[in-house]
Amino acid sequence: MAAVIGTDLVTITINDVDIQVPKGELIVESVKRLGLEIPIFCYHPRMKPVGMCRMCLVEVGFKQPDGSVRKMPKPQAGCTLPASDGMVVFTDTEMVHKDRKGVLEFLLINHPLDCPICDRGGECPLQNNTVFYGPSTSRYIEIKRHLPKAFPLSKYVTLDLERCIQCGRCVRFTEEISGDSQLAFRFRGAQMQPSTFQLLDFESKFSGNVIEICPVGALTSAKYRFRARPWDLETKPSICLECSNGCNVWFDHRASKFVRINGRTNEAVNEEWTCDQGKFGHDWYNDPRRLIQPLIRAEAPELTESAGEAPQAFRPARWADAYDVIAPRFQSQGSRVGVLAGSKISNEGYFLLQKLVREQMKSNNLDHRWTNHLTPREARLEHKFGVNPRQFEIAEIESFSSILVFGGSLADDLPIVFLRVRKAWFQNGCKVVVASSQATDVDSFAHLSLIYRPGSEAALAAGLLHLLAPQTPGVARWTPEAIQEATGVPAAKLREAAEALRSPGMGIVTSHEMLNKPKGPDALEVLAGLAHQVGGRFSVFSCAGNDQGAADLGVLPDTVPGGARVESPGLDTRAILGAAAEGQLDALWLAGCNPFELWPDRDLVTRALENVPFLVVQDSLETEAMAYASVVLPMEAPAEQDGTYTNCEGRVQRLRKVIEAPGDAKEAWRTYQELSLRLHPQAPLFNPSEVLGEISAQVPGYPGPNHEGLLGEGVVVPELGSNPDFSGLESTLGRL
Amino acid sequence: MRNPHGAELFCARTPAWAGRIVLKMAELKLLLEHAHESEFATLRGYVARGGYEGLKAALGMDRQGVIDQIKASGLRGRGGAGFPTWIKWNGIPKEKNGTHYILCNADEGEPGTFKDKQLMEQTPFELIEGMTIAAVATQGDVGYIYIRGEFLDAAKAMRRAIDEAYRDGYLGQNILGSGLNFDLHLHLGAGSYECGEESALMSSLMGERGMPRLKFPHAPLPTIAGLFDRPTVINNVETYCCAPYILKNGGEWYATLGAATKNSRGTKIFSVSGHVNRPGNIEIEFGTSLMELLEMSGGMQGGRLKACVPGGSSVPIINAEACEKAIIGYEEMGDVKTMVGSGGCMFLNDHTCIVKFIWRTALFYARESCGKCTPCREGTKWMLQILTRIVDGKGQPGDDQLLLEICKQIDGRSFCGLGDAAAWPVEAAIRVFPEEFDFYIKNGRSMVETPLMATMSPR
Repeated sequence: MAAVIGTDLVTITINDVDIQVPKGELIVESVKRLGLEIPIFCYHPRMKPVGMCRMCLVEVGFKQPDGSVRKMPKPQAGCTLPASDGMVVFTDTEMVHKDRKGVLEFLLINHPLDCPICDRGGECPLQNNTVFYGPSTSRYIEIKRHLPKAFPLSKYVTLDLERCIQCGRCVRFTEEISGDSQLAFRFRGAQMQPSTFQLLDFESKFSGNVIEICPVGALTSAKYRFRARPWDLETKPSICLECSNGCNVWFDHRASKFVRINGRTNEAVNEEWTCDQGKFGHDWYNDPRRLIQPLIRAEAPELTESAGEAPQAFRPARWADAYDVIAPRFQSQGSRVGVLAGSKISNEGYFLLQKLVREQMKSNNLDHRWTNHLTPREARLEHKFGVNPRQFEIAEIESFSSILVFGGSLADDLPIVFLRVRKAWFQNGCKVVVASSQATDVDSFAHLSLIYRPGSEAALAAGLLHLLAPQTPGVARWTPEAIQEATGVPAAKLREAAEALRSPGMGIVTSHEMLNKPKGPDALEVLAGLAHQVGGRFSVFSCAGNDQGAADLGVLPDTVPGGARVESPGLDTRAILGAAAEGQLDALWLAGCNPFELWPDRDLVTRALENVPFLVVQDSLETEAMAYASVVLPMEAPAEQDGTYTNCEGRVQRLRKVIEAPGDAKEAWRTYQELSLRLHPQAPLFNPSEVLGEISAQVPGYPGPNHEGLLGEGVVVPELGSNPDFSGLESTLGRL
Repeated sequence: MRNPHGAELFCARTPAWAGRIVLKMAELKLLLEHAHESEFATLRGYVARGGYEGLKAALGMDRQGVIDQIKASGLRGRGGAGFPTWIKWNGIPKEKNGTHYILCNADEGEPGTFKDKQLMEQTPFELIEGMTIAAVATQGDVGYIYIRGEFLDAAKAMRRAIDEAYRDGYLGQNILGSGLNFDLHLHLGAGSYECGEESALMSSLMGERGMPRLKFPHAPLPTIAGLFDRPTVINNVETYCCAPYILKNGGEWYATLGAATKNSRGTKIFSVSGHVNRPGNIEIEFGTSLMELLEMSGGMQGGRLKACVPGGSSVPIINAEACEKAIIGYEEMGDVKTMVGSGGCMFLNDHTCIVKFIWRTALFYARESCGKCTPCREGTKWMLQILTRIVDGKGQPGDDQLLLEICKQIDGRSFCGLGDAAAWPVEAAIRVFPEEFDFYIKNGRSMVETPLMATMSPR
């Protein structure tokens, strides 16, 4: 920001109205307090002001001791001017209007008037400002510039150079927000144009945002280009489930067909950004391979049938028929059946799924996890050490004075968390130390990067514990020199990292990706202990869709909703697949998951699906697993149903139905409910709100259907563990 | 205080003739006194001719004393804006808590100006000493001289001089045994006029694109947060070169030079070019008349005086009549609606087509606009397009008025001074020579129809 915004107030006068604003607030923000608007192009509240476009020129004066106002000789840019006491601002004088007309006339000199075919037409700041503030005609009679109209910056972003008004928003985004610095201006004067360096590809994990912040139609989405006019689209709020961050998005659709995703503001989660995975990852809604009706195989799958073969043996069926086939195979089969779940089912779906499995199938063979380590209940942090594994929310990352990012690649696993970590560094000067077995995007701004040998993550964590909390029992042998030996991280670097992290405002950001590392669970234990010992905070974030919801709602073999123990735990993912492969399961249900993609051991998956006599595949899209299915159930996608989802920080957010599901696809929760009723007649739950009511009664912290937080930023489910006791850490350190 | 330049100059400075031209004034060489002696570009030769006495005097004073001397001298920035130098020096925080930078703007790009080039090539030690004095006054640790990339000879001369100064203890650690540490670096620009704007120069020096940065009141002054966000003094080459003489002879002595003017003190080097018999750098005292300057440069060549651009291409053009009245001084030039600027004085004879002259000027600014702000980026190009059309004989009625309107839309609206500098010459030319524009637009050809004109502007 141009000036540090303080807490003390100053009195300024805007158009003869006195108003108190924080000292140093930018005038462009101050006028909003009066309901006024200063037109802008280059200014963006989340980026440093630059004052390039000059659209926000206002007249400014200062009150003199005698009460008169002395105006500054030149108009001032409102987007860069910090408020100071006695400042007098005029936004509605003849000069201001003339200047606005002047700037717009200049901008329109070279901007083509191709609004009728422009993607931005209808939602274009330049169009809007021209209509509100611009001249009715142009005096420009020279030849307009001609430049490439559809220059592909990347597979997602297409640049129309003629339309660019050189506001620099995109350039600044890549420098200040995403940090990949992929864009820059080249040439100067009227020839100036945004570009990648040496015209290489625009390689960014957040490139989609520049399309949204572009105030004209210069940066357009390669996928949305020329597909619709904004006024033909219906826009509804949605939640992105492509990863676990739970970004708030606008889901634009037309005639019940998905068209595009735009970022929606939620200060607690994604501010207003999206990642490319989310912004461009929703095309599957329109995929021709969407499942639209239940399918039943004429006879049980032959062992000779190979994967990938078109499932011709299916016959379309009604839901009732499908239930009739499924019900006897699962009812009360106990340990002879298994259920595996994916990550895009709503909380309501997960809740009813585990209820169905536990109450009607009489089984605990139920899991949603696909990581290498499937930590049993007793070994999980909240139960082993009584420590909460999610000690801060995404937005709180900004307040840390130092951050340890541990394991994985943050920008890929948790893109929005990555942006917050970067913001903590960029805006607040937070020191970031990153530890990973490979180079990651965090390195570009990290104070230090500790690259350890794959498999030595737990040792590195122990090394940090040794330096930061040497009093911990059992940590003495992990001296920096021993760590250098074990991990390949130089002892001096480790010491420096420890110094950078030695502050009470320290935070440790890590993710479930650690559970794929050989010693990941041990590392998590040590890190949790480290945070506890030094008074810092620690969070291990889930990585996929609604994984957190599935865990909270007991889609686990050994835990029921709310976290209580199951008397006789069932099989976990690996064991279910193993049992199926050995022929020990009579029926397997794949709820919104494709084990071929999720489980690394492809051979085991193939054997499991081949050897299980009865397989239910419930999914939104055709998958490889369908080749083995006895029954296929079409499932509605998240935006096609009401439901709540829990993101990685434990924030429950509600998604209201946006579009109609194709064909006969059914919500997951309804499928489980209907099957459950067939197996055991009972009072039904009619809608997701009723299910949510049931959840909130059983799971501490989960909001009821009328919780007002669901209308806003969502409701964060509170802490699990409250009595940390790290006496067990010594044995962990002993076995590393 | 002893005046090294002889008593006859003192009588010329009596207030009695202030504002009137009674006596002819001659060239007054202060900075350029020894410029023609190649010895002067060596440390030994410089010291032998009284060099480094200013620094020694400064080292004998306290910091505020040095600034007071500069204040008493009335020295104003020689780069074009004429901002009082002492205010900049005084604005540096007195309580030091980190590096202070001393920056020299040697990116002399103003068309018609070439004084800094000569100063750096022939009197490099004046600049080094001047910057060292600034370092004394503001507790500077590191200095940078940002030299225009094309000035290779100047850069080489400066390099030699800096090396020599380091060798003999005039730069580096513990300068002259005083405990002062000051390092001086050279940086060559990459060919952008905009980088002569002080904040763009800092951007460029920091490795960013040469674009101007926010200024007060939108951002802290460079004296608080300049280069690398540290307190920074930035001055023109000529300004720094004045400092040794001020410290050597006292600020009050310096203030006697140019005492006839309202508020301009000392000497100013004018780079006289155009249609004169002896073009070159001429150092004169403030208060000299423009016509005397013309006389010193050997008078007009090839024709009568038609117009003059007295301070580099950015300043408004004036006609012969105004030239007669013009007295060189920051305020005095304002009386004839022009400026001292950087001292790039171009005299134009009556074979000059003003329309073509302005077209060429506009071409320069359109090419040099950095592109950051809308008015300058689009306005300079639009003006060039209109002027090109006029020069090509395709002018339309109202084009001159349109140009004036565009000037108004740029002037004061652009991000930095480049926009203003691009608008002023066009605005002034249409104001001062409206008939030439009228004629060109109406007839599709220049009002000046002489063979010499055709030679000068082949387009």
